[in-house]
Amino acid sequence: MTIASDDPRVAAAAAPPPAPPPGPPVRRRRRLTRNRWGYAYVAPFFVLFACFSLYPFLYTAWISLHEVRLSDIDGAEFVGLGNYTALLQNEFFWNAARNTLTIGVLSTVPQLAMALGLAHLLNYKLRGRTFYRVAMLMPYATSIAAATLVFAQLFGHDYGLINTLLEAVGFDRVDWESGTWTSQFAISVIVTWRWTGYNALIYLAAMQAIPGDLYEAATLDGASRWQQFLHVTIPALKPTILFTIVVSTIGAVQLFGEPLLFSGNGMTSGGVSNQYQTLGLLMYDQGWTNFHLGQAAATAWAMFLIILVVVGGYALLARRRARAER
Amino acid sequence: MATVTFDSATRMYPKADRPAVDNLDLEIGDGEFLVLVGPSGCGKSTSLRMLAGLEEIDAGSIRIGDRDVSDAPPKDRDIAMVFQNYALYPHMTVEQNMGFALKIAGVAKDEIGRRVAEAAKILDLEDYLLRRPKALSGGQRQRVAMGRAIVRNPQVFLMDEPLSNLDAKLRVQTRTQIAALQRRLAVTTVYVTHDQVEAMTMGDRVAVLRDGVLQQCDTPGALYERPANTFVAGFIGSPAMNVVTGPAVDGGVRLAGAVLPVPREKLARAAAGTGRVTVGFRPESLETAPPGEGVPVVVNVVEQLGSDAFLYATLGADDDGDVLHTADVVVRTEPRTAAAVGETVHLRVREDCLHVFDPVTQLRVD
Repeated sequence: MTIASDDPRVAAAAAPPPAPPPGPPVRRRRRLTRNRWGYAYVAPFFVLFACFSLYPFLYTAWISLHEVRLSDIDGAEFVGLGNYTALLQNEFFWNAARNTLTIGVLSTVPQLAMALGLAHLLNYKLRGRTFYRVAMLMPYATSIAAATLVFAQLFGHDYGLINTLLEAVGFDRVDWESGTWTSQFAISVIVTWRWTGYNALIYLAAMQAIPGDLYEAATLDGASRWQQFLHVTIPALKPTILFTIVVSTIGAVQLFGEPLLFSGNGMTSGGVSNQYQTLGLLMYDQGWTNFHLGQAAATAWAMFLIILVVVGGYALLARRRARAER
Repeated sequence: MATVTFDSATRMYPKADRPAVDNLDLEIGDGEFLVLVGPSGCGKSTSLRMLAGLEEIDAGSIRIGDRDVSDAPPKDRDIAMVFQNYALYPHMTVEQNMGFALKIAGVAKDEIGRRVAEAAKILDLEDYLLRRPKALSGGQRQRVAMGRAIVRNPQVFLMDEPLSNLDAKLRVQTRTQIAALQRRLAVTTVYVTHDQVEAMTMGDRVAVLRDGVLQQCDTPGALYERPANTFVAGFIGSPAMNVVTGPAVDGGVRLAGAVLPVPREKLARAAAGTGRVTVGFRPESLETAPPGEGVPVVVNVVEQLGSDAFLYATLGADDDGDVLHTADVVVRTEPRTAAAVGETVHLRVREDCLHVFDPVTQLRVD
């Protein structure tokens, strides 16, 4: 083969193409019109989001700055941050915040720990694995009302199965509903029962993405099953664990259905001495029992801010750890 | 340091109709570099994993040194393995990856540090000790995987296609580095590959497997010179040996109307049952003969490699009515005098370069 100078490719390479004329600066407007179909396709979601999420969200903020009665929403009276200062001085608020925290810790920590253990077991090749996986998700598919009613019966004082069993093995009956710790423990059991399988499935999915040869390498390195779990599984699951912690925290702050139905009579006070009144219950109590919408809105915003602070704290912690690891 | 012995070791996967590894008998000497080679699905990786303890042994036994390890858990076998995808722990630094086994074994911290530093120096990884695997290139990851094995100072190294994820150039480089490192450390090594070039260049001895059955285990030179059957003959060497079958006639085998001479005793034994004989000749042991002599072939494709040229040619069917299928033949020639496409070339085999096989058993006839 010869390299001829009249080869069109050589000629083209030799003569550099004329530089493109400097075009007009790309304006935002032009980019908008060029991508109009993209915006059109995402529009339905954002329209719905604006109507049903953003607007109520901002309206709640507006209401929280007013004195509003449920019977007369238009007769709102601007009070500035009055509802918030009242909330901070309200002993019920602090009581509810404390209850929410203890129930949250009592339910989230064992729930996630058990979910991790369950997922680890289900990751082994078991006979009837699919059955167990489906069974795990059953509590999640059960309505809160049905589940809570059953659990309220189980924890009943006189005829409850749990007290019957306690008595059978020689312990005293426990008045689950009226004690502070006992009632909060009982509610945590319901929450844990309902959400453990859901989290276990999320962990299981993440575990199945871990390459098998990592475990083989760890086996050859002499790591026991437990050490493999600590040194291979847990590090690989870190992002997933953070995700489940965030989701569970949000759920815990907003806890409402279980404590409402646990009393058995639909009282929003969370027990006679408010021993298991959560922030969600308090908000409902303020708005729909006492008709102080302004205060209820302030409580809702306080819950939102608590979630923001807590989740923001996790994110900061995770980022600092990730940076330390790099 | 230790020998490794496979004694009729067999692995049968549940629901499989034939064993993945069938009665494997293999003796690996102390400090030897043995390569297991074969096409995919031949059982070479399974054999290695049986030795590692990652696969059960259904029959027979495996010994490391004098100790029967058939039922020993992997950690008690005093072996280290390099995986095909390296299997580095993604959240650990290079240092932690290499020291993990020692940490699990409860070795003192400064001792771990010393041994990791030593291995890192050998493998040129000193600048990367604090990096995580995802911040390393493919070649560096491969070296970390090697380092993880070296640090443990095991009796046996197991390597499962450790070069298959590297690009061609790096593979050739790393190939020689691994071989040199193994000679230097003098640790018994079992190395699995599907690449016969890797097998030939690295191994002290090479074991060729097919369908779970050991075909031949010998030095690279012996495998090339005296393949035990047609499978080994076709598998070892590149391009592959030409293997053709034809009717036995007086003085040789008839191919495309011409007679290729075969030594009398070999011919008699190979053709005893069927009257036919299978012969093999490598592309590099063919030479052109003047017309009238040699076996005629028609050239289809010419591959110019610069140093050599390869002719891909067709051996015509026999015109005597005793028609055999046509066969493809590869010929290595001088690049300057290579024949043109469509030309007919007459070939003969250099003296002592003809391999004779039994057409039924496919075994070598000597």
